[in-house]
Amino acid sequence: MSYLEYQVQTVPSGARKILYANWALVVLLTAVAAVGFLMLTSVAGGETGRWAEPQMKRFALGLTVMMIIGMVPIWFWRNMAGLAYLGSLLLLVAVELFGTVGMGAQRWIDLGFMRLQPSEVMKISLVMILAAYYDWLPIAKVSRPFWVLVPLGLILVPTALVLKQPDLGTAILLVAGGGIVMFCAGVSWWYFIAVIGAAVALVWSVFASRGTDWQLLKDYQFRRIDTFLDPSTDPLGAGYHITQSKIALGSGGWTGKGFMQGTQSRLNFLPEKHTDFIFTTLAEEFGFVGAFSLLVLYGLIILFCVLSALGNKDRFGALLTLGIAATLFLFFAVNMSMVMGLAPVVGVPLPLVSYGGSAMLVLLAAFGLVQSAHIHRPRAR
Amino acid sequence: MTRTPLRPLARILAARKEGENPDAIERENLARRHEAARDGQRERAEGRLLVLGVVFLCAFFMVALKMTALAASDPAEPRAAASGAQIVATRADITDRNGRILATNLTTHSLYAQPPQMIEPVRAARALARIFPDLDEERLIRQFTGERKFIWIKRRISPEQQQAVFDIGEPGLLFGPREMRLYPNGKVASHVLGGAGFGREGVSSAEVVGVAGVEKAMDDVLRDPGRGDVPLALSLDLTVQAAVERVLEGGMRLMNAKGAAAVLMDVHTGEIVSLASLPDFDPNDRPRPLTSGDPGDSPLFNRAVQGVYELGSTYKIFAAAQGIEERLVSRSTVIDTRGPLTWGRHKIRDFRNYGSELSVEDIIVKSSNIGTARIAMMIGTERQQDFLGQLGLLEAAPIELIEATGARPLLPPNWSEISTMTISYGHGISASPLHLATAYASLLNGGRKVTPTILRQDAPTLGPRVVSEDTSRQAREMLRAVVTRGTASFGEVPGYRVGGKTGTADKPRPQGGYYEDKVIATFATVFPADDPRYVLVVTLDEPVETSGTEPRRTAGWTAVPVAAEVIRRAAPLLGLAPAVEPPALTGVTLARSD
Repeated sequence: MSYLEYQVQTVPSGARKILYANWALVVLLTAVAAVGFLMLTSVAGGETGRWAEPQMKRFALGLTVMMIIGMVPIWFWRNMAGLAYLGSLLLLVAVELFGTVGMGAQRWIDLGFMRLQPSEVMKISLVMILAAYYDWLPIAKVSRPFWVLVPLGLILVPTALVLKQPDLGTAILLVAGGGIVMFCAGVSWWYFIAVIGAAVALVWSVFASRGTDWQLLKDYQFRRIDTFLDPSTDPLGAGYHITQSKIALGSGGWTGKGFMQGTQSRLNFLPEKHTDFIFTTLAEEFGFVGAFSLLVLYGLIILFCVLSALGNKDRFGALLTLGIAATLFLFFAVNMSMVMGLAPVVGVPLPLVSYGGSAMLVLLAAFGLVQSAHIHRPRAR
Repeated sequence: MTRTPLRPLARILAARKEGENPDAIERENLARRHEAARDGQRERAEGRLLVLGVVFLCAFFMVALKMTALAASDPAEPRAAASGAQIVATRADITDRNGRILATNLTTHSLYAQPPQMIEPVRAARALARIFPDLDEERLIRQFTGERKFIWIKRRISPEQQQAVFDIGEPGLLFGPREMRLYPNGKVASHVLGGAGFGREGVSSAEVVGVAGVEKAMDDVLRDPGRGDVPLALSLDLTVQAAVERVLEGGMRLMNAKGAAAVLMDVHTGEIVSLASLPDFDPNDRPRPLTSGDPGDSPLFNRAVQGVYELGSTYKIFAAAQGIEERLVSRSTVIDTRGPLTWGRHKIRDFRNYGSELSVEDIIVKSSNIGTARIAMMIGTERQQDFLGQLGLLEAAPIELIEATGARPLLPPNWSEISTMTISYGHGISASPLHLATAYASLLNGGRKVTPTILRQDAPTLGPRVVSEDTSRQAREMLRAVVTRGTASFGEVPGYRVGGKTGTADKPRPQGGYYEDKVIATFATVFPADDPRYVLVVTLDEPVETSGTEPRRTAGWTAVPVAAEVIRRAAPLLGLAPAVEPPALTGVTLARSD
């Protein structure tokens, strides 16, 4: 149902809106962010000024932005979706041309007061444009080949730009996030089966060709893939992060060493200890209990998003909520798998916990959209 | 799916009959159809969500499971998989014949730098230059602040130096374990051992490879990983070796020689008990090869093995022995020694005129060139060549020292009759002291050929016969006479019945001809002469004995007293008891006890 079809009168208006916000989500997000502050204090050696305080300020700012976005009616955001997507795309091109190179990849645009990572913005814009597209598209046409190719293009163009930076992690998140929105929108199973099948076949043929006459990759490329997939073959080189973080996780045990007692992360064994690998500090200092609690917090955020989407008869709002929940899920699932050695190392931060400005702001803004969808959902007549 | 028409005819007709607007029915049906489509889509969407939920749950479960596994695991430090080929850094020890260590391994450390890991490269460079004064500070600063990721600073450092470097506290300065070869006895047996250096080098180990001497010749054996801890036992006796070197050095100084060599060999087995060459060096710190001048003057030059000299009259015993063996002469056969002996353009003279004729024994005792040449004429070129070949004087010595392979005897290009004559008294043919010792051992041990070896032999070897027992005995008796009443009278060592032959040869000029005042003096000896055990060859390079009114250079005045001193010192160490000749008993009657 489009917003034109329901009676706008039943939607809360004015200051009353704030009562209808999804407060459970706010509490959960704050709880996760608090875990982040604690960990950032710990990796800085008990010093709050280094990472924790800037992070708190940004969280406060982000929370305000979230509530403001939440107050704005969802149909405004639906109309903005195309503009947001185009803007993000332009930013991605701009970063390609004028961006700052950091850590071997070109990702930032310096705005003066903050450094903007366009690929972060793109994750949300993509979800928005796809949700708006499926809201606009008559349901009967959803699985027609042409109408499937359009969103595929919408996903692949920014993915290609992100891959060029190169940022494999974000590219994977874009494809997976977009795919999940398409899946929820009801695109036929067969498309997904075909794409996954083709991908599996491609990977299989690449590996099957190894050592034969028609080998598709060079030997050194295979070796790189080997190390990428199984870093334990090179524990002091490419696998260094992983081995060290596994040690940290293992030494945490069930209940951990206690706050600020972690050696593995505090003694500088771990690079990027305050960003992508912050989870190891948590696992080392609070053990299995702490790490599992964080997992449960994330799980609850996803659950509340899904419940909100289920109760929302507005197709755009529901799809948007699901897409953002999926993005959050992909973030922490990939990050945790990576840190624990389940997945190859790709640069994906732990959402709301890892130190980093634009990722947190963008994520909170996205939850602002979820709030907006929740507040302005059509009420039953 | 059967679609209900939007305008069912029956209902339209009924509505018309009741006067209602039939379009309302159509609208109603349309709305119902929409509703149904939406409900179906909703159901489908919820099914999709369920699938997605299951996937999410699976992911949650996997992450949680891995978390559990990690929490339960014991943290273990990673070990680097071997990168590159493993460098085998084990090398067997070398011992003397009694198991005393001559060469062993010591683990030290190498020092290298990884500038990218450095915190204060300039401070580190300054501190390093203070610890190692031979390092250039400016150069280190340049290297540490430059592009290179890896720099060797020192191949080997001592524990004190390591501690000092460690105290700098610079994480970019790193140590690698490094096996090095240690020769605990310093210069003793330096030419036999040779030395070792580093082959392929890695950060965590380096290959130790032999560069000279037995270390190089036996490199494969020493590095054989299957060897385990079994050391390589040489035939050398460390005590005897040290004594021989000490006496030889003193003798070399006393005789104003610029170099000296000694070879002490077991006559029956060919084992080298001692092999010395002076000047020597410390194998722990091998000097660099000379870049100019005569390589024969380098301390690295092994005179006993590489020094191919004309050894002079020491060869005469070969001619005499062969003459007796071939039954051409006997010890008492009288030979015409009137000089000079003219052969074509050549004239052969004696050092001094010994009269018109001498017995074969006296030719050896007095060292007559003319007499020896006449015996050689009886033997003939072919048989002489054959005999010298059997004694190993025409080939490189087959010993386990790398230097020996390059030291081939120098032979006349055209072995004519005059060559046969000069060769019989050791001129026109060159060989090393080791060759001479081997030939003497083969001739005097009872007549069986020996093969020289530097490795301890656990069983005696019986070579092919060269001469008969009897010839061998007669040769020894003639050599004994040389000491008791001939040119080597200073060679007498009471109790050890030394026999031997002197040899003094003028040194050849590089541009041809011979020096008049530079000689190679050699004394080749066997002891005890009646029951031969050892052969000793002592060679002095350019000796001058100046105690008399005029300088004396002949071997009898130079090499012989040195050799006698060597025997005096070494024989007891070799376990030879002096045979005490009882003083003449006067006025005493021995009572028989039975």
